[in-house]
Amino acid sequence: MLPCYGDALPLSLFLTFFYQKKTRCIMDRECSQLLPSVCAVLADSRQLVADDTFLEKFLDWFKTLTETESSLLLLQENPCLTELITCVLKLKDPSSSTLSFILRLTGIFAASESCFQYLQQRELLISLFGEVGPLSSALWEEASVRSGWVQGVHSMVQHQSALHFLCSCGAIDVIFTLQGDPSLFVASAANQLLVHVLTFSLQSFQTKPENIKDCDWPICAQKLIVHIEESLKSNSASRIKQSLKLLTSVFGCCHDLWTEVLWSRLSERIVYLLEEEPVHAGHSLVDLFLSMARSPVFSCPECSLWTSVTCALEHLNPAQVGRLAVGVLKLQECPQAVKIQALSVLLQPMDCVLKAASQPLEYPGLLNRSVNDSATVETLLSCRSSCASLLCQTLTHLEELQYLTCLPVDLPHIPLLQSVVTILQFCIGLATPASCLGNKISRILIGCFRVQRSALDILGALSHWESPSVFIGSVFDILLAYLKSPDTSPTVLKKSFQATLKWLVSLSEAPSSKDHWQQTEQFLRDLFLVLQKRLCSPYWEVRDSALEFLTLLVKHLREKEWFRQVLFSSEVPKLTEDLLEDPESYVRASAVTAMGQLSFLTHLISKKPGVENGNVKEKSIVAQLKEILSTDSEGFPRRAVISVFIDWLREGHPDVLKDTEQFVSSVLQAVNSDLDWEVKAGGLELAEVFSAQILGRLGLAACPYAAVLSSATRSTHLSESLQIFCQVKLFEFLFGALCDCDRPVAQKACDILIALKAELCDESSLKEGTSAGLSTEARGIAWLEETLRRWSSCAKPCPRGDADEAGSQDPNGVLLVLRTVDLEGLHRSLNRSSDHIEKSPQSLLQDILATVGTLEENEADCY
Amino acid sequence: MPEIKVTPLGAGQDVGRSCILVSIAGKNVMLDCGMHMGYNDDRRFPDFSYITQNGRLTDFLDCVIISHFHLDHCGALPYFSEMVGYDGPIYMTHPTKAICPILLEDYRKITVDKKGETNFFTSQMIKDCMKKVVAVHLHQTIQVDDELEIKAYYAGHVLGAAMFQIKVGSESVVYTGDYNMTPDRHLGAAWIDKCRPDLLISESTYATTIRDSKRCRERDFLKKVHESVERGGKVLIPVFALGRVVFATPGMLHAGQSLQIFRKWAGNEKNMVIMPGYCVQGTVGHKILSGQRKLEMEGRQILEVKMQVEYMSFSAHADAKGIMQLIRQAEPRSVLLVHGEAKKMEFLKQKIEQEFHVNCYMPANGETTTLFTSPNIPVDISLGLLKRESAIGNTPVNNDFPLSGTAILSFRLVSPEQALKELGLGEHQLRFTCRVHIQDPRKEHEMVLRVYNHLKGVLKDYSVQHLPDGSIMVESILIQATAQSEDQGTKVLLVSWTYQDEELGSYLTSLLKKGLPQTTA
Repeated sequence: MLPCYGDALPLSLFLTFFYQKKTRCIMDRECSQLLPSVCAVLADSRQLVADDTFLEKFLDWFKTLTETESSLLLLQENPCLTELITCVLKLKDPSSSTLSFILRLTGIFAASESCFQYLQQRELLISLFGEVGPLSSALWEEASVRSGWVQGVHSMVQHQSALHFLCSCGAIDVIFTLQGDPSLFVASAANQLLVHVLTFSLQSFQTKPENIKDCDWPICAQKLIVHIEESLKSNSASRIKQSLKLLTSVFGCCHDLWTEVLWSRLSERIVYLLEEEPVHAGHSLVDLFLSMARSPVFSCPECSLWTSVTCALEHLNPAQVGRLAVGVLKLQECPQAVKIQALSVLLQPMDCVLKAASQPLEYPGLLNRSVNDSATVETLLSCRSSCASLLCQTLTHLEELQYLTCLPVDLPHIPLLQSVVTILQFCIGLATPASCLGNKISRILIGCFRVQRSALDILGALSHWESPSVFIGSVFDILLAYLKSPDTSPTVLKKSFQATLKWLVSLSEAPSSKDHWQQTEQFLRDLFLVLQKRLCSPYWEVRDSALEFLTLLVKHLREKEWFRQVLFSSEVPKLTEDLLEDPESYVRASAVTAMGQLSFLTHLISKKPGVENGNVKEKSIVAQLKEILSTDSEGFPRRAVISVFIDWLREGHPDVLKDTEQFVSSVLQAVNSDLDWEVKAGGLELAEVFSAQILGRLGLAACPYAAVLSSATRSTHLSESLQIFCQVKLFEFLFGALCDCDRPVAQKACDILIALKAELCDESSLKEGTSAGLSTEARGIAWLEETLRRWSSCAKPCPRGDADEAGSQDPNGVLLVLRTVDLEGLHRSLNRSSDHIEKSPQSLLQDILATVGTLEENEADCY
Repeated sequence: MPEIKVTPLGAGQDVGRSCILVSIAGKNVMLDCGMHMGYNDDRRFPDFSYITQNGRLTDFLDCVIISHFHLDHCGALPYFSEMVGYDGPIYMTHPTKAICPILLEDYRKITVDKKGETNFFTSQMIKDCMKKVVAVHLHQTIQVDDELEIKAYYAGHVLGAAMFQIKVGSESVVYTGDYNMTPDRHLGAAWIDKCRPDLLISESTYATTIRDSKRCRERDFLKKVHESVERGGKVLIPVFALGRVVFATPGMLHAGQSLQIFRKWAGNEKNMVIMPGYCVQGTVGHKILSGQRKLEMEGRQILEVKMQVEYMSFSAHADAKGIMQLIRQAEPRSVLLVHGEAKKMEFLKQKIEQEFHVNCYMPANGETTTLFTSPNIPVDISLGLLKRESAIGNTPVNNDFPLSGTAILSFRLVSPEQALKELGLGEHQLRFTCRVHIQDPRKEHEMVLRVYNHLKGVLKDYSVQHLPDGSIMVESILIQATAQSEDQGTKVLLVSWTYQDEELGSYLTSLLKKGLPQTTA
């Protein structure tokens, strides 16, 4: 069926869209013709362009243009652009948005040196970026104008002339001021501009190694460095932070040798900042050290950076230092002593927690020695406002370490695991405080979801270490406690499921899995009891997470006999099936996916003697899923069904294997009338898998090791395949999808048809067609339209349900259509975004012209 | 001095993507997390790097609040929670939570369909994001943490739209989201109690407009539809997927069904298209609204639009009168305008400042507005001063009564006992009690002795006494034993402690709950 095509859009029109290709250069004649009128509109202060996205997109276009064409030529060929700049400068009261736009536009042009000279000769640059320009006007109060000025300068500084211009017109001092701008956006852009000016001036200057001394550096760079030094020496926390941010970006983006000279000049001052009590710019210092540590310039173990990092690890607040510690541990090149210190810093809060819950003799010891004064950490842990935050950070950092391919230091994973379990116990009131600190932590953490989530994340990550039975037991206990507790929030429950899955999968894959299987089996029994309850939860989030967990569990453990036994002795499969009728579509979709996995196991179980024959049951599952595919009003369950069917077809599900053609045919028929494009895309994937299987089965797949078939055998096999494809109405489906109004559907259908055409319409058969006079010209659009209409009407189910009478296709007709349609041309059209015309520069210019003065009424509206 | 800081990342002097950061008494809240319909690149989402520069997102932000399901208020949420990495709580009303994923799916579909984008949030991400959402009821006070609480009020903009009050201690902010002060056929008018927040953050879409009545617009609308149908034409009404009656989607004629129908009907002058809302640049809807009648289609074909094109806004925003009405209702100490155009905001700002004598702010995106909040201190004014002021004609104006005089503050520090005596109050003692079950078949006094010995051994630094009446005292904590009547093997210990000894009390309870060691005789 071709439902949307027949009613909504004539096929001739549709095909015209795709047949005629269009190439468009960026500044074509139409755009050049429209540009003067657009510039006139922009220069007229009475004609306000209300929507600022116009101007943004206009600038985007010029950025692209100047990247591909000569900017000077552009200005010379379109004098209206220079006139626009001049006009806006002359306006008595330009709007802030127009002025900002002109500043940015001029900057884009001035990025080319020849264009810069051209604009300079007309004194436009000094009028825009110099002291007499917008800088001294009332509009400078507008953040958008300041932002436009900074962005314009940033674009312009691509050559030495621009740099000289900046230094001579006092612009550098303006940028220094803008670093402290009340607008975050302007301040950040000004900082980035200074980074660019510094790196650009030094990169273009430093050609020889002897130029490394800072006294020889360009005046612009020297001025900047003096400014940084002064800021670092000032008492203003915000100025210090600005300079540290600037240095962070410099060391992050530039790895030249001069950065080392810069560091040697500033390091003393920065170490001084670290030694202040308290350290004010902790976060910014961490950023700076991490950015430097990642630069190859500072990687040598003797570099003074490491002394500063060591100092930072000692002096920074535990709440700030974690990020530095984990960053250091991730480095390839870093002195081992620093790494060991970094790990100790990270473990310290966990050590305190462990101590707070253990009697002195039982304390397992997470740290051999204390790096920092543990009193600071204890103070933070005993305070309500800092405890959860410090623990969350620490847990997250430690979790990050678990995913490193090679941990550079020994991680005491057993005590770490104990500490994580202890935190989780504290959070639900199961831990026994052994000290005053323990009492405080206990009261702060109880019911704290943030800490619970972070702790469960790392608990899952710790599963990849081999742990002794006693600890596995404690992990199982705490997981069960969370999974069972009615106080567990849906988000925490989801994390509990994730951690549980990781432990079960790790244990099943571990070499020592047999040692733990009894323990694991008992845990599974308890787990399924909880899962049964969770599947019946009144919250859809909980039911859905439970189903997602079940799906993954089955996927990973379905080969394990003990798992299957426990699973099928529970009510979980039955409850999952019941959820196919859940009122929430998300849950129905997850139930479909879970049933898709479970049905593989049902087969295995039903084959065993003594087990109730699952065949009848299994059939009903296939039927149920097909029913969902054809009748469910929501997209998610239908998409889930088609995904399950694709998996079944790929993996050779017994029910599919019984009669694959019938299965595929019925699924494609259901998908054909679906309005959801993702269901259709799924159907196309199913069709693709099926066609590959058929061609492969008959030895036609493109396998390099396959025996080469004789041409007669190949021809027989091809016609056999074609027959099968026609029987399941594959081509009807594919051509219908090709006409779909949703682009991804048509695109995928086109890809599949191109692949099939390559297989089925090989050279010889093409020749046959041509010799018979069946050229593309002979069988044009009208013929194709008619053919598709005929197929479409034949595909409608006839009242008696007789498939043969419903118009089975003629294989020769299919080949003819395949050869006739310009699939390659369609493919090119479909690769373009469906709104590419509306997004074109020409369209934008037309819109600007059309909008002026007409949208007064609508402009401020939204939903 | 306590302060409230507000930084719009979006909706500051524009009607793009709403995203406003509020810092109140050390708590950081994000109000809305919207996307800009006018962009197809990074600019469609707010620039979250300004938040991430303060360390981890989840550590910095205490919560995210979504006012309603429109995409310019929630479109960036899955990106923020699943791709940028925010893992904290998200609050919205129940209807918003139910409808949000449908609109997000629709948006994802258009983006993937139109652009073929792959690096975009997926269906699974939308679901995972929605699972993090805590749904709230109107007027229900939600305790985000010990200090931060929020409360939703009816906003009347679309189904589920809410205004939110954010409160930390005595400081509070109200964020209106989009609201409507005129009742609709299926939606009521926005309502908030006289909560006198330190700051009211209000939308200002129709800052300078006084809208005609909805009935007039409905009448005009029906008239136009009738006229078109009577002359044998058809009427196309492209609409957004939800929020109003669905005719054909999408609402800006940029893809899908509504565009297909438009192409088919555009050539007939009897037909009519009624655009019920704003269309961004880069869509067919925008083109026809701006009067373009010859549209280029694929293959350089020109589609001539002969059908009638009408614009009729039914969007439910408060007009200037409505905004003033809400301010009158809530009595804020200051107002901050968002979600509107700079020029119109400027006009409304002056009107608000004149009429209500409160400061009104209108920060641009990226600009931070800082407000210093001062607590109310009631003072007793001497009769002499009051008489003198009225003699010179100083009378209250709009509840303000500026007076100048000298404040004399006298503080005295007295003992609690004396304070009780002077205030005529009696002392109350707060005690906590707890029952601990202990499995012990022995007689009661033997068990108590075991408990006593155990505690004496563990709590060496504390005073542990065995009193003649059989009870045990540890500092102020009293432990008494009773037998469980139905089960002789189980004894019950009654533990009672004062508020001052709370720490020791809870420690003792947890210690006893672990049971008695076997070795203690």
